[in-house]
Amino acid sequence: MKRAEFPFLGYGVGLRRPHYDYIVGARPAMDWFEIVSENFMVAGGPALKTLARVRENYPVVMHGVSLSIGSADPLNRAYLRDLGNLARRVNPAWISDHLCWTGVAGRNLHDLIPLPFTAAVAAHVADRIRTVQDVLGRRMAIENVSSYMSYAASSMAEWEFVATVADAADCAILLDINNIFVNAFNHRFDPHVYIDAIPSERIVQFHLAGHSDFGAYLLDSHDHPIRPEVWRLFAYAVGRFGEVSTLIEWDDRIPPFATLAAAADEARSRAHAALAYRARGSAAESPR
Amino acid sequence: MTREDSTSRAELELGDLQRLLLRLIAAPAGVADALAREPALAPHGLDAIIRGDERMTAAERLEIYANAYFYRLLDVLKEDYPLTLAALGDDNFHNLITDYLLEFPPTEPSIHFAGRSLAQFLLVHPLGAARPWLAELATFERATLEALHAADAAALDAAAMRAIPVGAWPSVAMRLAPAARVLEFAWRIDELAGANPQVTLPHPPRRSPLAMLLWRRAGEVLFRPLELLESAALVLAGRPQGARFEEICERIADHWTDPAAAPAAIDRMLARWLNDGLMVRADR
Repeated sequence: MKRAEFPFLGYGVGLRRPHYDYIVGARPAMDWFEIVSENFMVAGGPALKTLARVRENYPVVMHGVSLSIGSADPLNRAYLRDLGNLARRVNPAWISDHLCWTGVAGRNLHDLIPLPFTAAVAAHVADRIRTVQDVLGRRMAIENVSSYMSYAASSMAEWEFVATVADAADCAILLDINNIFVNAFNHRFDPHVYIDAIPSERIVQFHLAGHSDFGAYLLDSHDHPIRPEVWRLFAYAVGRFGEVSTLIEWDDRIPPFATLAAAADEARSRAHAALAYRARGSAAESPR
Repeated sequence: MTREDSTSRAELELGDLQRLLLRLIAAPAGVADALAREPALAPHGLDAIIRGDERMTAAERLEIYANAYFYRLLDVLKEDYPLTLAALGDDNFHNLITDYLLEFPPTEPSIHFAGRSLAQFLLVHPLGAARPWLAELATFERATLEALHAADAAALDAAAMRAIPVGAWPSVAMRLAPAARVLEFAWRIDELAGANPQVTLPHPPRRSPLAMLLWRRAGEVLFRPLELLESAALVLAGRPQGARFEEICERIADHWTDPAAAPAAIDRMLARWLNDGLMVRADR
């Protein structure tokens, strides 16, 4: 995998509807935007016009939620065609989706359901990622998902599964730091072990988001500020992987744009602090 | 064993697992209730598939996904159908969507399509039967959404028409722009269409036939009731192949009681259509 296929974009935020007019009109300082691909897989209208205006001024990454790369159903060729058409229109820096399944038997659950972590499932998913990359004519990034259940059939740890799939598919990894933290709580593992095990050369992007604490489990709700523990884990990841394109996700109870921009700036500051700490010859800032 | 053998076996096992989870997650009465209808899971039940612990059982963990499935779709449909929601109230709308998702579960990758059959479903649902105008209100809301995302097209405008020699106007073929459509209702849906969805709708609409034009201009979906004459002309132009201008004129003249006044009426209508960007060329 060539890192040049995934240039460093800086610190960005998700492009969300409440901010369309402001972003188009005020052109605020922002390194880049990430879109939810499906929100723009429409025939025409104001959403596509807004996207075109945004794209004139900022790099854009396409992030999908419905590829269902882990489904037992055949790949949805019509969806891939539409995704390819959007990519030709947007010319994104890259395309990503989630390491999960979202539907089966022709149905769609519109949720990111985890997969059993087995060698056979890893091979199944990697084959499909290769097919998608062939269809799109470009390498894609695959994201680790948050999860609230794990399978008795799993024979490897999540981080082994992610690394196995990425190696076999020769794809990039979008590492969601909040998802690692959430899963570490929900499934009782050390998040640093996860980060230490992921192949550094495949990491092209970080996601940061807020989560909700329900006591017995953490929910990846994307409706809160990023928690201090997740910021510390982010610093640890920067210490391990270096500076990586980073995006703030906020999808519900969306705050004013300035709040998102401040979070992106905070990510930049914390990343630079972590790199400075590493440069002084110490281990990265540790949340432990 | 070849890798292909291994992969196809994995797909089969994965498919069985995913289809089971789909049934459990999408079940309307919750995971525990759905588990009772899965005798093949005995004797170890869900615990043989999903790990539980002292914090949460396997069923409780799966229930998180079941809740997310329903409430994500409910939220999207509330956003897509604010007037239908206002007409029914929260509890009735919740019950309607519970039943709707059983009959029309999402099948498309984009959640944008999840509510596309709600109007059709209201025709046969008791909540719709008690409010015979409600399916038409839902039709209006769905059409608004579809018009918003319809394909862009270069609309015919006055300058483009002026550039065509007058002698050639009769043969100019035109059709409604992709984002424009004529809706025909048995109830005066226009009486509710502009209501504030944040409050309960004030009253049912009157029962009276209505042709309504819906179109998009500058990124906003607009609507207006149509007179019979204009409706007849726009329905003709709304066919996939569109209509020649002379056919549209003839349709209007057919409906006009005073033939001498028809040209002026046609002139007014055409000017409005061109100004609103309703027409595209159908012969190019």
